[in-house]
Amino acid sequence: MTGLENSRSSHAKAWDERVAAYEEEVRSNPWRKRLREFSRNKLLFTGSVLGILIVGLGLVGPLFLGSNYAGQSLRNTHLPPLTEGYFLGTDQYGRDLLVRLCIGIRVSLFVAAAVTSIALVVGMALGMCGGFLGGYVDRVVRSVTDFVWGFPLILVAVLLAGGLGQGLLPVILAVGIVNVAAITRVVRGEVVVLRTKEFVEAARACGVSNFRIMWRHLLPNVMAPALVLASYYVAVAIIAEAGLSFIGLGAQPPLPSLGKMVADGRGFLRLNHWESTVPGIGIAGLVLSVSLIGDGLRDVFDPQLRHEAKGVEKG
Amino acid sequence: MKRAASRLVYTLIVLFVSSVAVFYAIRLSGGDATAAALPGSATEEYREAFRDRLGLNEPIYQQYFTYMGRILSGDPGNSLTNNKALTSMLSEHGRNSLVLGGTAFGLVFLVGIPLGIVASLRRNSWADQGIMSMSTVAMAVPNFWLALLAVWLFASRLGWLPSAGCCSTKQLILPAVVLAFEGIALTVRMTRSSMIESQNSDYVRTLRAGGLSEWRITCKHVLRNALIPIISLAGLRIGQIVGYALIVETIFGWPGLGQVLVNAVLRRDYPVAQFFSLVLVTIVVMGNWVADTGYTIANPRLRKST
Repeated sequence: MTGLENSRSSHAKAWDERVAAYEEEVRSNPWRKRLREFSRNKLLFTGSVLGILIVGLGLVGPLFLGSNYAGQSLRNTHLPPLTEGYFLGTDQYGRDLLVRLCIGIRVSLFVAAAVTSIALVVGMALGMCGGFLGGYVDRVVRSVTDFVWGFPLILVAVLLAGGLGQGLLPVILAVGIVNVAAITRVVRGEVVVLRTKEFVEAARACGVSNFRIMWRHLLPNVMAPALVLASYYVAVAIIAEAGLSFIGLGAQPPLPSLGKMVADGRGFLRLNHWESTVPGIGIAGLVLSVSLIGDGLRDVFDPQLRHEAKGVEKG
Repeated sequence: MKRAASRLVYTLIVLFVSSVAVFYAIRLSGGDATAAALPGSATEEYREAFRDRLGLNEPIYQQYFTYMGRILSGDPGNSLTNNKALTSMLSEHGRNSLVLGGTAFGLVFLVGIPLGIVASLRRNSWADQGIMSMSTVAMAVPNFWLALLAVWLFASRLGWLPSAGCCSTKQLILPAVVLAFEGIALTVRMTRSSMIESQNSDYVRTLRAGGLSEWRITCKHVLRNALIPIISLAGLRIGQIVGYALIVETIFGWPGLGQVLVNAVLRRDYPVAQFFSLVLVTIVVMGNWVADTGYTIANPRLRKST
């Protein structure tokens, strides 16, 4: 008996020492561990590098270039890239394409951030309430999300633009509403399974309130799948904003949006195709980096979500 | 049967709720309806008379019922900008949309299913990898950008196809392919995974053990079972195509329902916006219902539970 205990405790001791050494290493250099885990995942790494480059350009660029995105110069229209003074050339009104690209990236990021925060907060709240409380609440949540889920995003956005007028607000609301439905569905599905688990029963038996169970015990468990799904919908948000701006319903001139810039350059494809291709590459790069990060996060957090996430539709 | 009936009731409720939502959203829009129809110099009395004539001063729920009554009796009103009857606009633009959407819908399955089958039969070969990576790219590229690339390549550079317009076969090709692109990618993926799932199932192993040729197993058994979910969920593609049609029709200047709706929203022509939103919403809701029914018929297990 004692021998067993001894050997066990010596194992435990060795283990403790290793953990302590590792923790010490992490404490002395917390970035090393994170970097190691991070760089091991190729998708996450490539996506983040690309993302940091584009986001950095959008955030830092205007600090050096100024943010005079609407300044016209009719003498310098349709300049090709690498012209003196204009790194990426100019558009039909002689506006600096590089500055407009930076601001356009900011607009895309703003829409994506707004949409994703709405979707995460509302979607997780609704999904947890529906899944955990069940009954009447659940039925309402389910029918509302099913109702919204069936509609193509672009149609919802056009309807809202009809009601609210053109601009970024209807785009944010439309993409937000559809994303809320998506996140609610997934979170609800997770919570329905979690609800019957022992730790929830235990908390309930101790007299913990419903709100506290949801906040302290369920939330950490649904965070990972919700975040993975949200990262996919960041890409959807960026594409939707660009598409709606392209047809004139999103950002209104002179505010540049990547989609609007592609549309503006459309008439001059033969003359100077860069006016369309530069913002187009911006959109593709942003979407690619976000999708890669999403794939990487999925591999890290939840390999089972692979199938479901692939079925996500952009429309 | 019970499920089908309850889904029908649900679909009708969805239709009612969305018609109310569309009506309120567009009628309560911040803009002044008279701004679209009347010149800026119109006097306030004239504007008031105009609103009276359109019934804009009645309570909103009454307007809704009057409006739905008029739609159901076949007279939804006229456009504010060119005074065309909405019914004639519907038949004219609806036909164009039907041609474009129908072609895209056909392409989705006629191209997507064979490619998916090839990928699944030659799994992990270069053909499979090529098809699958193409479909990944196709799902990541925004369709308006794809449209632009297609115009640049086939219209500007090569000069093979016109860049926009309606309604010759040549003008149909580019918008239809762009509209179908993502659906094709999705169908390829679904077909491939569904085929692989059937190929690995027990009955196929039994058939193999029974000595049936691989060709026969694939054609007679695997294919049939694998295609059921894809065909039965075809209704979902309708909604997707309707959504994308709004963008693709606008880009290619294809005078369909989507382009009319987008232009109406841009010009604040609210009768047109309202009516065509309702039309598109109805199409989407019915498409979802068809998908649901098809899926229930194909999966007997679902029939029992509601």
